[in-house]
Parts: sequence; structure tokens; C-alpha cells
Amino acid sequence: MEGYLAGRIEAFDGLYAALAGRLRGYLMAQCRDAALADDLLQDTFLQMHRSRHTYEPGRPVTPWVFAIARHVFLMKRRSTGRRLRFEERLTADATAGDVVRDDVKAMVEKDEVRRALEQVPADQREALLLHHVQGWSFAEIAARLGIRVNAAKTRAFRGMKKMKGHLK
Amino acid sequence: MSAPQPLRDRVAGDLRPVRPLRSPTVRALVLVPLAAAIVFAVPALHFFRSDMAALGVLRGWGFSYAQAIAGIVIVALALRESIPGRSLSRAVVSWTIAGGLALPALVLVMTSSTFDLGPAPGRALVEGVGCFRASAGAALPALLFAALLVARAFPLRPGIAGALYGLGCGLIADAGLRLFCEYTAPPHVAFAHGGAILGAMFVGVVVSRISAPSRR
Repeated sequence: MEGYLAGRIEAFDGLYAALAGRLRGYLMAQCRDAALADDLLQDTFLQMHRSRHTYEPGRPVTPWVFAIARHVFLMKRRSTGRRLRFEERLTADATAGDVVRDDVKAMVEKDEVRRALEQVPADQREALLLHHVQGWSFAEIAARLGIRVNAAKTRAFRGMKKMKGHLK
Repeated sequence: MSAPQPLRDRVAGDLRPVRPLRSPTVRALVLVPLAAAIVFAVPALHFFRSDMAALGVLRGWGFSYAQAIAGIVIVALALRESIPGRSLSRAVVSWTIAGGLALPALVLVMTSSTFDLGPAPGRALVEGVGCFRASAGAALPALLFAALLVARAFPLRPGIAGALYGLGCGLIADAGLRLFCEYTAPPHVAFAHGGAILGAMFVGVVVSRISAPSRR
């Protein structure tokens, strides 16, 4: 470890050879996914490299490295959890819109709906059609139009309101 | 087992010699001059309590510096917490926080015989806010310094590290405060002095969570 702190790449190689097997086993036991364990192993060594100045010479290396590995695993689990929750929310939004989307699809074929749609401002009509007919999520619409998600929601909502007003 | 080439390349690209951090105890000792200055400066910049002579050197300066040393020890624990693999156990963290919060009350009990001296009627809020501000202002330099020391390490639980160094710095500031505030009434001590220590802990938690390298 002292050689590694002094900047010798052979010392890093030695450290990797000595620790990688045990670290991979530990990470594998945590995540039960071989590919993910390999990724986490790389992340652990990168994190170890970035924080190598926190190692206290003379102290055992193993607790220091395993604490970093555990932290890398926990951070990964946290970020994965956040991403999954975000995707679940998007899926729920899309599913909730399915019923409405079918109804709107049927109605769009009718002339009066088409005429009412034409009365809606172009930006609102685009957001409305993308969401209610094409089934895009507001996040996707926002990304495509280069606007905020709330702005996409507002445009679709106002467009729908105006269209309903013209249909009455 | 040899390192994959991409990983080896990335490490080799940034492999300059680094100087390891000194031990937490040595690093915490850097705070000693600052703590000594804070303990002296708080009463010197305001005024010394009127019963300073009756209190005596040991019960006045002695207990204050003892409390400041306890604060430095707690900062040292925070620095130890910031080293991977040297995290404190839950019991040590709990006892340290409980003991740190109880310490000013213990010092008060050991140095006072009556506990009814408080602000004049109608002045409780003004005097309380005054003590809180003096304590918070005194804790700030130590807090910034301790935050830098912790951020240079790699706290895996930045909230705990922040709470500990916030508590330590709060105790250092309160050690100075007790040399100018002679009130012993429990509401004043709890809300103004204890509140300032809790405030320092809160600031420590927030700063540490924001500045921790482990969150970047």
C-alpha cells in the first residue's frame, strides 16, 4: 500500500491481485449478480484510488478497502432504487393514460373533434396529441419539445380544455 | 487476478504520489489554538461574568478549558469517523452525543449552588437570543475548520461525522460562553446555550452532507 501511495503502478497491480478476489466475493454476496459485482469491483478500485490519501500507513488495508466496497454497493443500490421508482412512475402514468387514449383515438376520427382540434393553438395541440393519442409521457414530450415537464402538462391540459370548449 | 486494462489505464493516468492524512488525533490537535482563542475571546469581547472572582480559577477557566478539550476529543472522533474502515459503532456515537449534550449541564451543576439566576422578567427572550448568537458566532470558525478537516477525508456517513464535529464545536463555543453568562436558570441554559449547541450540530450535519466527497 505504501508503494501505491508513492505512485507506483506495480504496487496497484499487487494490491488488485491480493484484494480483487475477496472483494468480488463480498460484492457478489451483496448483490447476487455476477455482472453487477464486476462493475462494482471496478468502481470500488476507482473509489479507492480517489480516496487513497485517507489510508493510514501501518493500519490493515482490508477494513479500509471493504468499507469503501460496502459504500460503493450502498450508493449503487440507492441510485438504482431511485431510477426504478422513477421508471415505475413513468409506467404508471402511461398505463393510466391508456383508457383515455383509446377513447380519444376513436373520437379523433370524427370530424367535429378534428375541427375542434384545429381551433386549439399549435403548441397546445402538439402536446395534447403526443400525450393523449401517441401515448407519450410528459417527460418524453418535454424532452422532445425542449420545455419543462410542467410546461408540457400545462399545454396538454389547456389544449384539452379548449378542445372540450369547442365541442360544446 | 490482474486488473482490467481500462481500470489500470485510468489509475495509471492519475497515479501521482499522495501524502496520507495524519491520524485523527493529530489532525484534531490543529484545533487546540483555535479552541483556546475562542474560549478566551468570547468573554473578552463581551465581558466576564460578575462572579468570576468568586468562582475561582479552577471552577472558571479550568472547567471551561476541560469542556473545550472534550469538544476537541469529539471533533477527533468525527475525524476518525471520516476514515473508511474506522467508523464508530452505534453505541459510541450515541454515548458521545448524549455525553456531549449532558456535559454543559454537568459543568453547571458542579460549579453552581443555586439554579434560579435568570434574566430579568421580560428580558428572557432578548438575553436568550443574545447568548444563542454569541455562542453560534463563536462556534462558526471552529465549525468551518472542522468541516474542512472532515471534507479532506472520506466520510462514509457524513451526517454522523457532521453531527459529531458540530457538537464538538458547539461545546468549545459554550465553554467560552459560560465565562460571560452567569445565568443558571434551567430554561435559559437549556434553550439559549443547549439550543446553540444543537444548532451547531445541525449546521455540521448539513455542511457535512453537502461537502462530503462520498456524495459527489
